Amino acid sequence: MRKAWSLFFLAAAVVAVAACWAAPGMHWWFPQKSPGGHAVSPLGNQIDDLFYLILVITSVTFIGTQAMLAFVLWKYEAAPGRRSAFTHGSHSLEVIWSVVPAGIMLFIALYQMDVWARYRIQSRFDPYAFEHPIAEVTARQFEWRIRYPAPGKTLQAKPQPDDLYTVNDFHIPLGRPVMFQLRSDDVLHSFFLPHHRVKQDAVPGMTIPVWFESTQTGEFELVCAELCGWGHYKMRGQITAQREEEFQEYLKKLSQSQFDDGVLAANAAGAQQAPAGEEKP
Amino acid sequence: MGLFAGCGDQHPSPRFALNKKTLELDKIAREPIVKALQENFGEPNRLIAWQKFPFDYGVADPKAADASRHEAGWRLKEGRELYMRHCLHCHGVSGDGDGPTARFLNPRPRDYRAGVFKFTSTLSGLKPSHDDLKRTLQNGIPGTTMPSFIVLEKGPGNEENLDLIVDYVRWLSARGELELKLVSELAAMGGRKSEIEQRVAEGKKGESSDTLESIMADLKKSIADGFADALQESASDLADSWARVEQPESVVRPKVKRTRPDQESIKRGRAIFLSKEAKCADCHGPAGLGNGSLTEDFWDIPNTNPVQKYKRPGLHDAWGEPQMPRNLTSGVYRGGRRPVDLYRRVFAGIKGTQMPAFGTVLNDAQIWDVVNYAMSLPFHGEQSPYPEEAPEAAPAKKVASSQH
Repeated sequence: MRKAWSLFFLAAAVVAVAACWAAPGMHWWFPQKSPGGHAVSPLGNQIDDLFYLILVITSVTFIGTQAMLAFVLWKYEAAPGRRSAFTHGSHSLEVIWSVVPAGIMLFIALYQMDVWARYRIQSRFDPYAFEHPIAEVTARQFEWRIRYPAPGKTLQAKPQPDDLYTVNDFHIPLGRPVMFQLRSDDVLHSFFLPHHRVKQDAVPGMTIPVWFESTQTGEFELVCAELCGWGHYKMRGQITAQREEEFQEYLKKLSQSQFDDGVLAANAAGAQQAPAGEEKP
Repeated sequence: MGLFAGCGDQHPSPRFALNKKTLELDKIAREPIVKALQENFGEPNRLIAWQKFPFDYGVADPKAADASRHEAGWRLKEGRELYMRHCLHCHGVSGDGDGPTARFLNPRPRDYRAGVFKFTSTLSGLKPSHDDLKRTLQNGIPGTTMPSFIVLEKGPGNEENLDLIVDYVRWLSARGELELKLVSELAAMGGRKSEIEQRVAEGKKGESSDTLESIMADLKKSIADGFADALQESASDLADSWARVEQPESVVRPKVKRTRPDQESIKRGRAIFLSKEAKCADCHGPAGLGNGSLTEDFWDIPNTNPVQKYKRPGLHDAWGEPQMPRNLTSGVYRGGRRPVDLYRRVFAGIKGTQMPAFGTVLNDAQIWDVVNYAMSLPFHGEQSPYPEEAPEAAPAKKVASSQH
């Protein structure tokens, strides 16, 4: 009966490993949108690769330690008449299990640096995207307010008369890195695009450049990933990735609707000559 | 285990709360109102779609794939589900703007029961159109705690979600406003507690022949004679006012295209803004900062006898809340930033606030000048773009991306 406990703990470890093994195939790790559950951005795929690399390293370590644990439980189970042996440890074992994990950590730290640098270091940003941010995204309890520069113009730090505004509805062009400036109006928020594997905190008082690239057209979720208040759950938006022409067309339409003067097209012709104060049609 | 004792199906079912003004009535006067509301609107879990109102409650569609649509009134029910999930915690079960989070918010969430909504496209004094409320849901109200709900209508099957919420809100508003109208009918019949007490006291002093019994008998008789008609009339008036705003002639539309926002127009607009006729600067301040002289006066509370004054200086809105004239230099436009939105604010005023309608005072060209001036204020006089001169879309640039 006592041996059953060692089997029980072994079984728990086996289930955990089996679940991790099956997870990528069952698409449990990442949100689904593209075939195969891949990220819809090139950098996102590299981040996934890093994730899987660390998963493999931790799985191997986990299997090793669990097997050892089960073995020890099984073999050195309490038995009548057996006496405990005491040890003051093994110097060489301690050196091994300090140096090997340290080596692995160092390897991960060096290996991930390129991906981190591509994501965060401004001198590694795509130069065109860096010079031409497509929008300013301002997080606010509980919505995302987006300010685009007028078509053909460059985003300025201060609002301009011809800027275009939307809320919770962020359109981006496809197939090229795009950068936006992230701000917060009130508290900490976090700009999170699960399908693109982009996550960046919005910090009050800071303007943070963030870039990503979408390789797939369509609508994707934008959520807040930092508990920001009672309405955190409703702080959702939508990213629409479009072909360049469609994106430019979208901006043009946005501009037209934002500067709409409400005169019906039917009345527009000749309306200029109509005497002011005349009865409504 | 005691922790879980409160869970399960012991939740009290939600109820529409009575208006505070209804509670000022005597029990006998309150009864017919409660009964009328119960019979014609029901409770949150027992909605009644009163056909008197011009709202689309949802026609039964036995062939619909979605089983919930097989019954008549499905739109009202689905509107309720969405409202309960997304709106209730600020605007309250009965739309009284007093949900659990309301007390933390400034400005306060709208109380629909007055039937007054600020940002509309309709003429002065009219209700908002369906599309006005939908626009508010889509864009939120910048500068307030009302967020945008545009995501709710994204995705297949969700296209109608905001329409459902709007219709439920209009229904709630009609319910609340009808209650208020009936309260004033019954108050006119002498149903207020305070008034009854006063008359009884006068009767006891011998100043009149009233006794509690005679007063109650009179009240009961007035209710029996007049309440049914009052209910029908009030409901018809309300239904008409909601139907009317969907007519094209209720919508404010400039007849003249927007004047080019050049320096001349901005200058003319400024002159009107500062003029004694328009008096914009009295509230908005000479520099448009929202600090005009009227914001420093102490104002009377309307309908108080003897007249009382608000404790705080400054303007107050129809809901009795302090109200700041907009700081026009901030570039935050609660009712929308399109030129037509600003035109409508000037032409028809802002309902429930001290912003008056200038449609009869200023002509179209003058309003456009004022709008151009207001739109130039956040940019220190720089002109805002004119649609026909908006720059063409830049040709799509092909980008050499060397990074991957």
